Amino acid sequence: MKGKTGKMILTLILVLSLTITMIGCSGNNNEEANNSNVNSSKGADKGSNDKQASEKLEPITFSFFAEDPNPNWVDMRDDIGKAITEKTGVSLDAEFAVGDPSQKVSLIAVSGEYPDLISAKNDINKMVDADALLDLTDLIEKHAPNIKKLYGKYMKRLRYSETDHSIYALPTYAGVDGIGFSATGGFELQHRVVKELGYPKIRTVKDFENAIKTYLDKHPTNEKGEKNIGLSLLAEDWRILISVTNPAFLTTGAPDDGEYYINPETYEAMYHFRRPEEKEYFRWLNHMNDIGLLDRESFIQKFDQYKAKIASGSVLGLIDQDWEYGDGERSLKAEGKFDHAYGHYPVTLNEQFKDHSFQSTGFMAGYGISISKTCKDPVRAIKFLDYLASEEGQVLTYWGVEGMHYVVENGVRKIPQEINDQKINDSINFSKKTGIGFYNNIGPHYGDGVKDSTGNYITTNFPEQIEASYNDVEKEVLTGYGIKNWKELFPGESEFPVKPWGVAWNISAPADSKVSVLAEKMKDITWKRIPEAILAKPEKFDVIWDVYMKDIEKAGVKEMEKEYTKLIQARVKLWNE
Amino acid sequence: MEALTAVKPLKPLKPRGKSDKFWRTLFQQKYLYLMSIPFVIWVFVFNYIPIWGWTMAFQRYRPGKSFMKQEWVGLDNFRELFHDERFYMALKNTLAMSFMGLFAGFTIPILFALLLNELRRQMFKRIVQTVSYLPHFVSWVVVAGIINKMMSIDGGINGLLMNLHIIAEPIQFLAKADWFWGIVTASDVWKETGWNSIIYLAAMTGIDPELYEAARVDGAARIRQMWHITLPGIRTTIIILLIMSIGNLINIGFEKQFLLSNPIVADKAETLDLYALNYGLQLGRYSFGTAINIFNSVVAVILLFTANTIFKRTSKESIM
Repeated sequence: MKGKTGKMILTLILVLSLTITMIGCSGNNNEEANNSNVNSSKGADKGSNDKQASEKLEPITFSFFAEDPNPNWVDMRDDIGKAITEKTGVSLDAEFAVGDPSQKVSLIAVSGEYPDLISAKNDINKMVDADALLDLTDLIEKHAPNIKKLYGKYMKRLRYSETDHSIYALPTYAGVDGIGFSATGGFELQHRVVKELGYPKIRTVKDFENAIKTYLDKHPTNEKGEKNIGLSLLAEDWRILISVTNPAFLTTGAPDDGEYYINPETYEAMYHFRRPEEKEYFRWLNHMNDIGLLDRESFIQKFDQYKAKIASGSVLGLIDQDWEYGDGERSLKAEGKFDHAYGHYPVTLNEQFKDHSFQSTGFMAGYGISISKTCKDPVRAIKFLDYLASEEGQVLTYWGVEGMHYVVENGVRKIPQEINDQKINDSINFSKKTGIGFYNNIGPHYGDGVKDSTGNYITTNFPEQIEASYNDVEKEVLTGYGIKNWKELFPGESEFPVKPWGVAWNISAPADSKVSVLAEKMKDITWKRIPEAILAKPEKFDVIWDVYMKDIEKAGVKEMEKEYTKLIQARVKLWNE
Repeated sequence: MEALTAVKPLKPLKPRGKSDKFWRTLFQQKYLYLMSIPFVIWVFVFNYIPIWGWTMAFQRYRPGKSFMKQEWVGLDNFRELFHDERFYMALKNTLAMSFMGLFAGFTIPILFALLLNELRRQMFKRIVQTVSYLPHFVSWVVVAGIINKMMSIDGGINGLLMNLHIIAEPIQFLAKADWFWGIVTASDVWKETGWNSIIYLAAMTGIDPELYEAARVDGAARIRQMWHITLPGIRTTIIILLIMSIGNLINIGFEKQFLLSNPIVADKAETLDLYALNYGLQLGRYSFGTAINIFNSVVAVILLFTANTIFKRTSKESIM
């Protein structure tokens, strides 16, 4: 008898404890959720009678998500971060996308748990569809004089769409009134190549090819006996756009409009691979592969392998943007291999074409930072962004802290020599320590070449500064070409008209619209066919290209172009009416 | 003592008319039922409630809108799915890779377990076992990195083959679309063989040693013993695992394919899960993604029941 009750009690206890654990778990969650609700409603209250509350600058932490990775981010413990927190009371709990950012944004949009601040780039449409973002129009009007001043006449360009004139994002990827001073793209050659060949003219793909070929014939291996690689491309996931497919239009006299070529008269969109000129560019890549100058692993290697290759110094030529191969180049510089670093050349298919890298887009609204509907305190958030947009904030984020990272001599802002040396030669640690470069894409900002009230440039990119940032080898090569700045090789802004649609690649189509689905299909076909065409035997190139053209036509490329044309025309209307 | 009798083996539920007896059994086994309640709740909350989300497949789902405000589109999503060529390509890849994986993932671990079981030196056996299942704990991201490196032009495999003069030129393994399925299967075998053999080894320890003694007396050599005693001894385990794997044939995930893929082999690497990711979630077409998922689940259930019935008929073993 005793045994029986004992067992029964034991069983009951077991059952109860299991059940309680489970209920307990879920209970806790509820509580937490409630707590955060309380917090956020408190935040909203604070917002409505803000003055006193925000003036006190009690510390507040905003969660922040950005689509672009920032591996060097140190949670605002850098010098500039500390200064910003001191001024605004705001610290950011930042998360940067790892892997595929648009997936992450999709998940954020579905989950309903939005970060306070989000920089969703082209995927902002998913957030807008989920009704997750605040309309910033009134907030700017009431609390953000500096932002208003900064965008000035471009405020119209901030509006979301023809049908929805709300402002969901403050553009932070483009600088207002900026002029490009530094060339970041084009084709790249290692300095040792051009130095050895006596600074030949690098203007067409043939020049580029000959330079690599001549050098490689003389030096098939480097000093360690490893093979030199002629030209390496990168094709991992979206990076195929930057290194493989975008150069097709850049070398054939078209500006960067994403996957489209926009007819400047009629504003008609065309899937850019259908331009006959581009076929010839890919034929040249095919030829490069045929004669063995193209890295055989170009279409297989992953991003880290590519960077490692560049860091080893064995890749003579690249077709890429400096923000992509930059990490590899920086470690070359850190090792002191300055002549293995790269210069930028405005290469096109032949002399008829001009590199359109510097064609002006007007102010490129679009990608930027948004405040979500669940933000703890939207007013503090907009004030934080307003601080970044102020002259003080701008100088801080670009130049750093006065006395630490720059000095003012006779009213002129200057970066001391030793700081500049660190910046150039040990840039990863430098940015980790100072935070220079971390905050420009977080808030609205001016572009290069704009001057502040003291007559100094707001950004650190101005001709003198850029020229000062070149290392000795780079200066030697530039002198060899009789110039002071890579940009001088490229055709300047004044040679082209301003594009009234800005750029097509930052127009976001509704997420699940026909045009997005079609674009995904085109992407799948193109990313498969282009490598196939490049790696084929030259005599098979035309056949593969024809199949490719038929494939995309079958998949509905014309319909996609028609839909996209509508979007472009709507953008032109929205921005210019 | 009575409590012990209550823990008698569960009898199959009786058909109607004998409900009396059913209630009596229920009462007798009340502690067992009580103890299972938390887990039934668990399964219900995490596996049944989410099925509600399937309604999305029949809508043009927009996040953030309430259920009643969603736009209903009937079977449109399914119609689009079955008209898409890429879907069939993804289906083909999925099935091909999962059948290859099923075949390799069954025969090799069983063979491995059989051989390990024959080892006399306990120490050696344990070391081999531990070393062979360690890769199971390495994530696919890392494994894919290793494989990428091993199979690159200057990687280990090419180096080995060239030093042995089997090939003259390095081969770009990962650029051969036709080899992709094989590479995925082989890397899976490398990673999981040791782990999968553990359960067979465990089953083998349960075989009565007297059977082996008897066989030895009858003059059976080791191969005979393996064939007539060890293998039949673990037959139940094999069949149950096989039925469960068949149920999972269509859900092979996407990590390995995603991580090992590159533009050249993309057409052989896209599995259903990747397809759902690219054309569903990534484009914000949650409804389309759900439709793919429903298709997967339905196929999985059909496969599971078919396999179960076949085995029930032929070998009297089944999981239901």
